[in-house]
Amino acid sequence: MSIWEKLTELPREIVMTLVLLSIIVPALNPLGLPLMTGQMSQDWYDTVDALPADSVVLFDIGYGSGGYPSLGPGNIAAFHQMFNKDLKIVIMATALEGTLMYPLVMAGVNPESNYGAVYGEDYVFIGYVAGTQTAMAGVLGDLHDLVTNDYLGNPISGMSILDDVAGADDFDLVAYVTTSGDIAEGWVYQAYSQYNCDVIGGTLSMMTTSIKPYYDSGQLLGIMDGIKGAADLEFLTGHPGDAIVSSDILTFSQALVLIFIAVGNISFFMTRKGGGN
Amino acid sequence: MVSMDVSIWIAAFFTIAATSYAFRDNVVFKFAEYTFIGVAAAHQIVMGVKNIRDYGWTKIMEGQIIYVIVFVLGILLYARFHREYYWLYRFPIAFLVGNGVGISIRAAIHSDFIVQIMETARTPLIAGDAMGTINALITFVGAVTAIFHFIFTQEKLHQGTVGWIPKIGRWMMLLAFGASFGNTIMSRFGMYQGRIIFLLRDWLQVI
Amino acid sequence: MDYKRDIPLAITFLVGIIAIGDYYTGIEAVTQTFNVIKNWGIVLQGFALGLGAVNLLRVHGKRISERRGGTDWYFSAWLLLMLAVHIILGLVTGRYEQGETYSWLYNAIYLPLGSTMYSSLAFYMAYGAYKVLRARNFDAALLFITAVLVIIGNTPMFPAIYPGFFHMREWIFGPIVSGAYRGVRIGIGIGAVVLGIKTLIGMETGYLGRR
Repeated sequence: MSIWEKLTELPREIVMTLVLLSIIVPALNPLGLPLMTGQMSQDWYDTVDALPADSVVLFDIGYGSGGYPSLGPGNIAAFHQMFNKDLKIVIMATALEGTLMYPLVMAGVNPESNYGAVYGEDYVFIGYVAGTQTAMAGVLGDLHDLVTNDYLGNPISGMSILDDVAGADDFDLVAYVTTSGDIAEGWVYQAYSQYNCDVIGGTLSMMTTSIKPYYDSGQLLGIMDGIKGAADLEFLTGHPGDAIVSSDILTFSQALVLIFIAVGNISFFMTRKGGGN
Repeated sequence: MVSMDVSIWIAAFFTIAATSYAFRDNVVFKFAEYTFIGVAAAHQIVMGVKNIRDYGWTKIMEGQIIYVIVFVLGILLYARFHREYYWLYRFPIAFLVGNGVGISIRAAIHSDFIVQIMETARTPLIAGDAMGTINALITFVGAVTAIFHFIFTQEKLHQGTVGWIPKIGRWMMLLAFGASFGNTIMSRFGMYQGRIIFLLRDWLQVI
Repeated sequence: MDYKRDIPLAITFLVGIIAIGDYYTGIEAVTQTFNVIKNWGIVLQGFALGLGAVNLLRVHGKRISERRGGTDWYFSAWLLLMLAVHIILGLVTGRYEQGETYSWLYNAIYLPLGSTMYSSLAFYMAYGAYKVLRARNFDAALLFITAVLVIIGNTPMFPAIYPGFFHMREWIFGPIVSGAYRGVRIGIGIGAVVLGIKTLIGMETGYLGRR
């Protein structure tokens, strides 16, 4: 077997071990590389930044354990920005695990101690609503008809944040962070298409290409593009967290993938050339 | 100093167990897999019951007796497991499908079709500078040729000189799919890095 | 008339038409009816969430009772035990917010398993890139070029050396991705609408299950 044939047939265990090491080593020895902010994340930040104080934002936690490592930090950074701007946030979950993501995210934001926010006045969590687009249509159509209590069982009729919020016309911005294509499209369909709401969306990087047409056509005013977008938001909001740390680690792991691609292709072509001779 | 928290040790065990499959299928991974399936299904039930209670039962308690019909329909969903009366589940499923389809297609026509075509039509092909013009042309050519690629009912469209249009569309889509692949790599690695950070920071406490 | 199929098809049509009518007409009666349908739909979705668990119960219950597959039934028993424990804890503890114990179990079991299962595909992506991502022909080369350029742009080290790599990545996501995916999105939209209309008028009946 020639050296090129051996390089095309590296055992799986070796490849997987190298991948694992490429993630562990930089985590132990971070490089602290500079970050370049993408335009989509900048537009997310600018859209929220342009809102005056006391604007009402409908925020959907549409992800679970699968998306938490990359979207959780971005969600935390987004909340930091919104609380810092004294925005009113109506939080809901269209993902099954959203109700369990909420306490994790809030532990990272700590709105009471960091921003003096009061639950029921500055923010409220109405909990999980089943049905994806049906849930979105229900909340945007007539919130008080659908929802009686918040997630903690408190009647929403007594909450000042929801006194003047009946439906879509009362939300100044709809924001979501999700790992689901249905939820990402759903908010564009239900919030923008039906009610012409301003919408910003956060998704995994691999979903960015499929929702980019919405961003290009103005249906989405900004996109938080996975771990990259989360790192951008952490940088822009001045709250560095796990996303910026992860970005550093990406250097080695992605460089390893490039090496694999190069080795695979060079050995493929050299083997084919040798076989041709 | 390694963490003393039991939940972190359990989480670390399951993280390593789930990762082990990348190297070789093994009984530890199988244990983790079955645990995950059981817990995930349980969580669905828990959230389902809470949803029924919060959005259904509370309505009945408020006096909206008509919601009893919804509860009957909901129970009929489980008729699909019955050998003889499985067809009863078609009634609630028909309701769900009609609702889902109606809600999504009414807006899809606007968002996925009208707005996209409007945006393609109104973007000027000649921009202020050379790069802007090139970008506008690439976007326009990409959008139009990609649509042509999906016209499969007209065979002649894919033949001869005209056949270059869907061919260019395919090339444009391949370029875009390559970008999507590159982003997918970053996405998956970004997610897994979160687990490694957990193991090193929260469990082993070496960073 | 086969009432077992025709009545459900009629329900699908009626409910769908009301949903579409709410969007396109301003008729108050239609909007009011659709509000009711929406709220009913949310409750029904809650009922539908239990279907997966019931199916698991059937499949794994059968495996346990038949003691099939050597020691496989031990795993099935463990699965059902986890199912039962979590359901009891989730429903009995914590009226509204999740109980402390349930949250503890979620953070110890579900969260790490869910994140790791989802993200461990990173290994397969790297292995796939090594084994399969080859510029074998012109078509594959096109995919290969943008994949490599985007990966380079996403790797912080390269833009740190030369910012042009990042701008190249941004440019690829500009006209190239925007143009092609706009065409894809229009295609998806047309396909979704056609499939939806076929479903509403009864030409697509897969959701009704076996005859």
